Amino acid sequence: MTAPDAQVDVALRQRVVEAMSEVIKRLVQRDEPVTEDMDMADELGISSSLGLELLLEVEERTGIQIDVEALRPDELRTVGQLATFIATHSRPW
Amino acid sequence: MTALDAVSVYTPAFRVPLENLAEPLGLTDIQVRLFRRFHGLDEIRFDPDRSLADLLHAAAAGIDGLRGQEDRVRYVIHGRAMPVVVPYPRNPLHEVCRQLGLAHALTFTVTQQSCASGLLAVDLAGRLLDGDGDPDALALVFTGEKAFTRDARLLPGTSIFGEGAAACLVSTDGPRDRLLAYACDQQGGFDAEFGESFDRFQREYRPSLAAVMRRAVAEARLGFDDIALVLPHNVNIVTWQRLCHLIDYPVDRVVLANVPVNGHLFCVDAFANHRTALEQGLLREGDHYLVAAVGAGAGATYSAMVFRH
Repeated sequence: MTAPDAQVDVALRQRVVEAMSEVIKRLVQRDEPVTEDMDMADELGISSSLGLELLLEVEERTGIQIDVEALRPDELRTVGQLATFIATHSRPW
Repeated sequence: MTALDAVSVYTPAFRVPLENLAEPLGLTDIQVRLFRRFHGLDEIRFDPDRSLADLLHAAAAGIDGLRGQEDRVRYVIHGRAMPVVVPYPRNPLHEVCRQLGLAHALTFTVTQQSCASGLLAVDLAGRLLDGDGDPDALALVFTGEKAFTRDARLLPGTSIFGEGAAACLVSTDGPRDRLLAYACDQQGGFDAEFGESFDRFQREYRPSLAAVMRRAVAEARLGFDDIALVLPHNVNIVTWQRLCHLIDYPVDRVVLANVPVNGHLFCVDAFANHRTALEQGLLREGDHYLVAAVGAGAGATYSAMVFRH
């Protein structure tokens, strides 16, 4: 699960959100904005394999390594929830 | 009762680095990086100099208990994923049976459950022996195949198949690895190479496998706390990490060491992981372990067996 807000690196989370937004738009060929409250599977059509591609690109764009072992995709429905998870479960490469 | 009296695995020494497969498999750079970063692939085993019959023979050669016992072997079953593997009228299973002095045995192949056909073959072997009437009768189960074509080698976004083979001597009352439960769930709705259902297959993959694993454990009158080890199919690392969250089972008790060095060896994974578990001393006498497999292609099959070592 995601950590309490107090433990979130706010600047890192913002960089993650920006990277996610750009990558998602490319992956699903979307011109409209991607917002934090959007459901990744139902609204954006991110499958589990596209989700891995998203994680890989976010890692490379932000220079972090995500702790994917701790990731529970079923509990991270929205863009914002995944961004918070990444910001609290990652370390610099 | 069905028991595994002996298990032998042949994995070729020749291994191809993941990056070298990019061009022949038509993988993009990001697909290669995904396979390495999340799926845990590094090298894939191939044996360009051995035919399918050679692979099976190499596996059988490792079973010491077979020599001198050939007349007790009544059934030889090949569990494999691909229905067509050689041009007619060649038959690699008959070929290897003749070489091993097993031409008298009733011999057939099962492919209906794709990569889960290896476990099906073990179950069938046990059922046939149970109805045989001779308590000394044995069955030999083979798994293994060649990965000739791009379609046979690549499960896009999921795994890369390699080559290898396993042979397993089955009896009704052997003392070594006894089958306690077998659960199998076939979902014909995913027939025809998934068709429009691929996304749904991806979504349902882990919950469906988790359900069949829970069923096997329950049918063995055990809980997951009693399962010392899981011998997985080597589809990839991330699938098992997520599956372990789903069933609340520690991923470090899933034998994943062969994923980076083998790739996905069709129906052979369970037996290769069994060998690794024994080599690394991960199974003690009396331990319960679970074997899992998924067959995908002509429908989806989720299978799990629970054994006592």
